[in-house]
Amino acid sequence: MKGKQLKKALITGVTGQDGAYLAELLLEKGYEVHGIKRRTSLFNTDRIDHLYQDPHETGRRFILHHGDLTDSSSLIRIIQQVQPDEIYNLAAQSHVAVSFEEPEYTANSDALGALRLLEAIRILGLEKKTRFYQASTSELYGLVQEIPQKETTPFYPRSPYAVAKLYAYWITVNYREAYGIYACNGILFNHESPNRGETFVTRKITRALARIKLGLQDCLFLGNLDSKRDWGHAKDYVEMQWLMLQQETPEDFVIATGVQYSVRDFVNAAAKELGISIRWEGLGVDEKGYDANNNCIIAVDPRYFRPAEVETLLGDPSKAKQKLGWTPRTTFGELVTEMVREDLKAAERDELVKKHGYKTMDYRE
Amino acid sequence: MKRALITGITGQDGSFLAEWLLEKGYRVFGLARRESWYRPNSASHLAGRIEVLFGDMSEGVDIASAIQDAKPDEIYNLASQSRPGESWARAPETLQVNGLGAIRLFEAVRHNCPACRVYHASSSEMFGQAAVSPQNEQTPFNPVNPYAAAKVYAHQMAKIYRESYGLYIATGILFNHESERRPLHFLTQKVAYGAACAALGISDSLDINEMGRPIVQHGKLALGNLEIARDWGYARDFVRAMWLMLQQESAGDFVIGTGELHTLRDLCEIAYRCVDKDWRESVLSDPALVRPLESGQTLADASKARKQLEWRPTVSFEEMVKKMVSEQMVRLKNVTNHLN
Repeated sequence: MKGKQLKKALITGVTGQDGAYLAELLLEKGYEVHGIKRRTSLFNTDRIDHLYQDPHETGRRFILHHGDLTDSSSLIRIIQQVQPDEIYNLAAQSHVAVSFEEPEYTANSDALGALRLLEAIRILGLEKKTRFYQASTSELYGLVQEIPQKETTPFYPRSPYAVAKLYAYWITVNYREAYGIYACNGILFNHESPNRGETFVTRKITRALARIKLGLQDCLFLGNLDSKRDWGHAKDYVEMQWLMLQQETPEDFVIATGVQYSVRDFVNAAAKELGISIRWEGLGVDEKGYDANNNCIIAVDPRYFRPAEVETLLGDPSKAKQKLGWTPRTTFGELVTEMVREDLKAAERDELVKKHGYKTMDYRE
Repeated sequence: MKRALITGITGQDGSFLAEWLLEKGYRVFGLARRESWYRPNSASHLAGRIEVLFGDMSEGVDIASAIQDAKPDEIYNLASQSRPGESWARAPETLQVNGLGAIRLFEAVRHNCPACRVYHASSSEMFGQAAVSPQNEQTPFNPVNPYAAAKVYAHQMAKIYRESYGLYIATGILFNHESERRPLHFLTQKVAYGAACAALGISDSLDINEMGRPIVQHGKLALGNLEIARDWGYARDFVRAMWLMLQQESAGDFVIGTGELHTLRDLCEIAYRCVDKDWRESVLSDPALVRPLESGQTLADASKARKQLEWRPTVSFEEMVKKMVSEQMVRLKNVTNHLN
C-alpha cells in the first residue's frame, strides 16, 4: 500500500519565468505538479522542457493541461480533475506597457482570471482543502505613497496592468475573509533571471549588450533610464511563494531585497561584466552611452516611455524576514553576472551559427 | 443642442438624470439592454423623449456603436450590476459589467471621441471598512465585496485614462442615494414597501425578496443586520452633481453624500412612523440576509463638491422616506384594486 499521498500543486503560468522555477522547486520537494498552458501557435515551453515527462512514462509527477485563465470552464475542469492542495496563480498578461494597448485582455486574464480560480475553489467545495497563492506585484504601489513600501502602504496603481492586479489582490482578500479560503497575496517586487522574457528591461539589457559585445547588434534603445527598481532573483522569490502557503494562517507578504538601483545602474553593471566601458553623455531623451571606440551603443527611445511612469519602487521585506524567516540569497551583482553569462552564451551560439552561413533567430519586440 | 449618452438609462439614476438633461435642453440618448427597456423601468415614462440604443456593457462593439450613433458631447456611465450583496453570487458578471464595461467605454471614447466628457459612477462601497471617518477623495479604498472591488477597478482605470491620455473623465464617489424609483430589492425600498404593507394590512406580499420569499411574510419584513448605518441621500439631488462635474474646467473625483448617518433601525422607525405603525412589531433580522462581509460605516465628507460644484442636498432623509412610503402605498393600492 502507498504511504502518504503526494501533495498536488497546480501552477497557472507554468511556462513563465516564475512558473518554471516554482515547478522545479515543488518537484524537488516531492509534489505532483500540474501546470496549465495556453494553446499557442509556436512552442513556448523552453523554460520547462527540462522538466517535461513523456505521457507514455509511468509515475509522472509533472503534468501539463491545456487551459486558459479567460476560459472558466477549462479552469473548473482542470481543478476538478486535479483536486490540488495548492494553487499558484502566476499566469498573467504581465507586461506593463502592453497593458495600455490591451487593457481589456489584461483585465480579463489578470483580474477576472484570479476571480475565476477562486470561484472554482468555492463552487467545487474545495474551500477547506485548496490553498491559493495570488501573484501580486509591486506595481500596485505605482506612484509611491511612502518609501520603502510595505504591506500597509496604500496602493496607487498607474497602469491597466497594475489596476487589474489590484482587483485580484482585493478579491483574494475578500474570498479569504468571506469564505475562509487559505488565500495569500505575495506582493513581489521585480524579480529577474536568465529566464526573464526578452521584452523586460533587465533581460533586454543583458541580451543586447552581449550581442553588441560580439558585433551582432549596434545599439540598444531604452525608455526611462532613471526608473529605480528593487531587483531580486526569481529563483529566490518562488521559494517564498511556497513558504507563504505553509503557514498556520494565510497572510499577505511583501517580497523584496530592500535595495534599489536605476536602469542606468543595471546597464553599467551588465556592461562592466562584459568588459564594455560606457561613457554617458547628454540628458533626458538625448542621453546616449558610448563605448571606448566612440560608438553609440545606448540611446533613449521615447517609444518605450510609459503613458504614466512608475519612477521608483523599493520594498521593505521585514515582515517576510520575521514571519517566514525568508531572506533573498542572490545579490544584485550576482544576478547581473548570471544573466549576462547566459545571454553571452546564447549570443556566442548565434555568432557561430551565423559564421557558418546559417540563419539565426532574431526575436524582436 | 448638446447631446448626452447615458448608460444604465433604465435605472433610478439614469431616469432622473435624463429628466434633468432634457430640462436643460439636451438631446438625450440612452444605452439599455433590450430586455430591460422592454420591461417596465424607471425611464419608461420618458419613451418618445429620449432615444434608446440597444447594447450591453459586456460587449465593446455595442458601446462603440452607441457612441458612433449618439455622437455625444457628454457620456454618463451609470450602467452596472448595482447590488453589492448580490455580487457575492454574481462576482464574475459584476466585474465584467462594472469593471471591464467601464474600460470598454473609456477605450471607445479614446479612439472615437476623445473630446467627449465622461462621468463615471464610482461608489462609496469602495471605502468598505475604511480606517477613517468621514471619507473624502483622499481616503484609501478598502473594498469588502466583489461589487466594491470592481468599482475600485473602474475608478482607478478612469484615473489612468485621465492622466495618461488627457481625457475628461470625472468620477462621482456617490454615497447611497435612494428614491421612490429604487427597485424593490434595494434595502430602503424594501423598508418603504414593508411600511406600506403594514399600513394596508397586507401580511403576505405579492413581491418577493432575493431569497425568493415574499418581502413581507406572515406580517413580518425580513432584513439583514439592523445596526448597519449609511449616509443616505435623495437620488434626484445626486444626478445634479453628476452634471455639474462635467461643467468644470478640468475633470476630477468628487465625493457626493449628505454627511448624515442613519442606521437601518432609524430608517425602519421613520418609515413605519409615516403610517402610524411601530416598526418593532413588523421587522425581523434574518441571518440569511446578512452579507458574508459587511461594509463598515461610511459617511461622506463632500466638502470638495460643496465648494467647487456648489452642490448641496435639498431633500432631507425624513422627506425622502416619506416620499418612498407614500409612493409604495399608491402602488400597492393600485395593484390590490386591480386584483379585486
